[in-house]
Amino acid sequence: MSDLDDFKATYFDECSELLTELEEQFVAIEAGERDADRLNAVFRAIHSIKGGAGAFGFSALVGFAHAYETLLDYVRDGRIELADEVVTLCIRANDIVADHVAAARTGDALPADYGMDEKARFDALARGEAPADDDGEGPDEFDIEFTPVMVSLDSDVEEAEYDIAFDLAELDDTFEIVPMAIDHGQWEVRFTPHRALYARANDPLLLFRELGALGEMSVKAVLNPIPPLSDFEPFDVYCSWEISLVSPTLTEAMIREVFEFVDGDCDIVIVQAGAAVVPAPAPAVEAAPVAPAAPEEAAVSDLLALADDEVAHLLDFTPEPKPAPVSAQDSFEEPPGLSFAELAESLKPATPVQPAAKAKPVALAPAAAESSGEEGERRAVGVQSIRVDLDKVDRVVNMVGELVITQSMLTQQMDETLRARYTELVRGLEVLAQTTRGLQDSVMAIRAQPVKSVFSRMPRLVRELGLKTGKKIKLETIGENTEIDKTVIEQLSDPLTHMIRNSADHGIESPENRLAMGKPETGTIRLSAEQAGGNILIIVEDDGAGINRERVLGLAREKGIVAPDITPTDEQIDQLIFAPGFSTAEALSDISGRGVGMDVVLSNIKKIGGSVHVRSWTGRGCRMTLRLPLTLAVLDVMLVKVGVSPYVVPLSSIVETIQCSRAAFERVPSGGQVLQVRGEYVQVIDLAERFDMETETEADNRFVVLCEAEGSAKVALIVDDIIGQQQVVIKSLEENFERVEGIAGGTILGDGNVALIVDVQGLKTTIVHKNAA
Amino acid sequence: MTLRVLTVDDSRTILAMLHHTLSNAGFEVLQAEDGQQGLDVLKTETVDVVITDINMPVMDGIEFIKHVRATGLHQSLPILILTTETSQDKRDQGKAAGGTGWIVKPFDPEKLISVIHRVVH
Amino acid sequence: MEALGLRDDLNDKSAVAAQNSLQLIAFSIGDQTYGVEITTVREIRAWNGATPLPNTREFVRGVINLRGTIVPIFDLRARFGDGQTSPTKNHVVVVMSVGDKWVGILVDAVSDILTVSRDDIHNVPEGNSIDSELLNGIVTHDSRMVGLIDLHAVVSGAKMDA
Repeated sequence: MSDLDDFKATYFDECSELLTELEEQFVAIEAGERDADRLNAVFRAIHSIKGGAGAFGFSALVGFAHAYETLLDYVRDGRIELADEVVTLCIRANDIVADHVAAARTGDALPADYGMDEKARFDALARGEAPADDDGEGPDEFDIEFTPVMVSLDSDVEEAEYDIAFDLAELDDTFEIVPMAIDHGQWEVRFTPHRALYARANDPLLLFRELGALGEMSVKAVLNPIPPLSDFEPFDVYCSWEISLVSPTLTEAMIREVFEFVDGDCDIVIVQAGAAVVPAPAPAVEAAPVAPAAPEEAAVSDLLALADDEVAHLLDFTPEPKPAPVSAQDSFEEPPGLSFAELAESLKPATPVQPAAKAKPVALAPAAAESSGEEGERRAVGVQSIRVDLDKVDRVVNMVGELVITQSMLTQQMDETLRARYTELVRGLEVLAQTTRGLQDSVMAIRAQPVKSVFSRMPRLVRELGLKTGKKIKLETIGENTEIDKTVIEQLSDPLTHMIRNSADHGIESPENRLAMGKPETGTIRLSAEQAGGNILIIVEDDGAGINRERVLGLAREKGIVAPDITPTDEQIDQLIFAPGFSTAEALSDISGRGVGMDVVLSNIKKIGGSVHVRSWTGRGCRMTLRLPLTLAVLDVMLVKVGVSPYVVPLSSIVETIQCSRAAFERVPSGGQVLQVRGEYVQVIDLAERFDMETETEADNRFVVLCEAEGSAKVALIVDDIIGQQQVVIKSLEENFERVEGIAGGTILGDGNVALIVDVQGLKTTIVHKNAA
Repeated sequence: MTLRVLTVDDSRTILAMLHHTLSNAGFEVLQAEDGQQGLDVLKTETVDVVITDINMPVMDGIEFIKHVRATGLHQSLPILILTTETSQDKRDQGKAAGGTGWIVKPFDPEKLISVIHRVVH
Repeated sequence: MEALGLRDDLNDKSAVAAQNSLQLIAFSIGDQTYGVEITTVREIRAWNGATPLPNTREFVRGVINLRGTIVPIFDLRARFGDGQTSPTKNHVVVVMSVGDKWVGILVDAVSDILTVSRDDIHNVPEGNSIDSELLNGIVTHDSRMVGLIDLHAVVSGAKMDA
């Protein structure tokens, strides 16, 4: 990957952060919080997007962002009032910026007139609101005079071309101004720096160096205004210079260019040789002529020598210790000189210019984001924070995972005899266990992020859905500071979008229907996040009509997902909306559809080790619960044997384990088995049969692992042996293979062998389908 | 001698590009994401030149330059203002605050280096 | 037996090989010889068992742990329809990259490293459908017929109902 690609990657990362921030800011702005801080944050975000886009030559993006930025600038300084329609326009503009960014990322071209309507509206706003006396305002103001320059970091050739173009342009300029001054040009420059020049850290020596590169140079220092040491003011400027430059190609513009930064901080008189130069008042010290360009170093050292001589000379003068204040010549109000006391003060170690930084989010929304304390603090330390490649963090996370497992293996090796004999070792292992846990927590905290980054995109979605469906919907969010692993968060966006679409589309009724049913006109979708043990629950809840079970079952039968002779329970019907191939969306409306259905939700969530459960109350609403692992790295499991192969079952789904000899199996008419547990009949799945493994274990010596996936009915898994609990690191099967039905992934055991992770919920869905098929 | 440059910008992209260009040119590069961070760096680090953005959260570039100059320790520290503004007024504000010179974004690498050499020994 | 670490020894040779020639790792299944391009081979290991994967075809022998990642093992004999190999410690797994995935192929033994000319590669004769499905071509070396394995074809269709 080239450097430029690297920068682009950084840029696009940054853009998505900035776009998220824009989204957040506008949620608040829409809610009426229209303070300067927010506007500034919005302005900065667009400004940064534009800046980067310029660097990469994304001219369409630059053009639009520039116009938008100008509008924002007007809003910021009050020339345009931030009325509701302006806010709406801005929100639309954010979308367009996002589209431009996306197009730049993929290299796709947007239509040439994309966003032009909005740009025209910016113009109209500016025309309507801008004061008439402002020259250059109106439509022209928004024309793009900002030309992006493509920066090439890879190719020297392009850079070289650049410079040539640059120089030619400059030469062209000068040709026009002084056509014939080219031959044997000799120039005299009178340079009188002001105090301000030094106050801004400009240095005449550097100017001379640069001038020296332009031609053959000689410099005279004009020293006569230097007062006796008794009147000498250390921060004042007493010296000026006369410079003579000889070069056939030199122009006044080239000389002016050298003084570009000090323009206004000095007096400069530039005259071509032959014209009268004000003679230097004596005494003047002659400096040796300096050769042009190449021996730059020589030039500098010569000048240095000169300066040193002069200082020595001055010091010889008078022994008077006390500098008396100020000559009249000082007319500048630049920073005053420091007394020694002040200097000493400023040298003290803890003299912060500003109070030490507290929790100030840096890259996130400033005022608005009250990110959790830890996050805030981490960002605020600023200088001490570093950006780390996610891969590196992942490597640490993985290694810590392995360490946790090794540690728990070691602990398990300690039987009673060993415990009695090696008390020191036991104590050591206990400390190790504690430290390891601490280490694990700390590493996980590095990856954890508040779910806010995903939640913040939802208000927008709900607003759009409301407009499209003509329903009145409000969104409540709860617990947006709940933190989850970054990878989990990244996987959350699509499922949440689908679930909310589903709620808005199928759940919430039309305002009329709601009123008719005695419900408030506006429907509510509540999005919440909370931690529950080692899991995070994300709940999407609505107060709509609930799932139309008749319709769902009808569709499912139509699509062959449920066989005609099967009568699923209400709960099973509800769960059907996640079944592969079942998308009520396409059949019912175009909103939830967009080509994918709710089965995507399930597969996305499963991929990250989570589960989905839906519960519906007819006429009252529907609740979908995502249960997600707090971390993707380590899973508490029960290690079992099926045939000769090791399998693991996530501990979170296990209710209890029972020896088969003690279990109350009962035959059902269809030939299958059920298990009676405390009056409840539970479906039985023999894993050996299901996984097609040979088993030689006698039926009575086998075990039942009673499982319960999120909220749903229990299932009894029969296995050949139960080895024990442990922690494992989840490994993907799909990395080198593909998804396997009934298996959620793999893990590597202490002996180096691979064990497969049983996908409890997946097994159950498969069974329903098998019956149905 | 390796010159040390402090770069202050809230855009990671710009920081990364500056870092690339400057370190390729043999500079040692320090980074800060806003003016306050920049001041924090200057409390503990000695640098030869500062390059700063204007529009930044927490403390903008203008404030940052004023603070740097006000400490007295950094009166002769060259500060270059990074600006996308083609208009004169940001530059003027920056200069009034004590900025030494400016660089117009997007910068081309050679130009950037030559501007730095213009203000640093 | 450790992984043989063949890659390092072979890099020099492959660099020397002329553009028009191809270096193959040849391995045997019964009296058949097959080959894959040496650049696709990551390492060669002795058979040390694999964890069986449910709901996969018989030629998927399961998965192994290759330095922390899970790699599937394909039984080449079974893939060619000759029934599952009964592997011993003397059987060999050739780990190769197919696209961005790593897979292991279970074979009887690794026999040789061959340099052949691309011009000598012939099309697979019609008639044997499995051969023409799984081979890219056939080359004769020292009067032996070597079938060039099409790795993508070998690893596809692993699921029961695929």
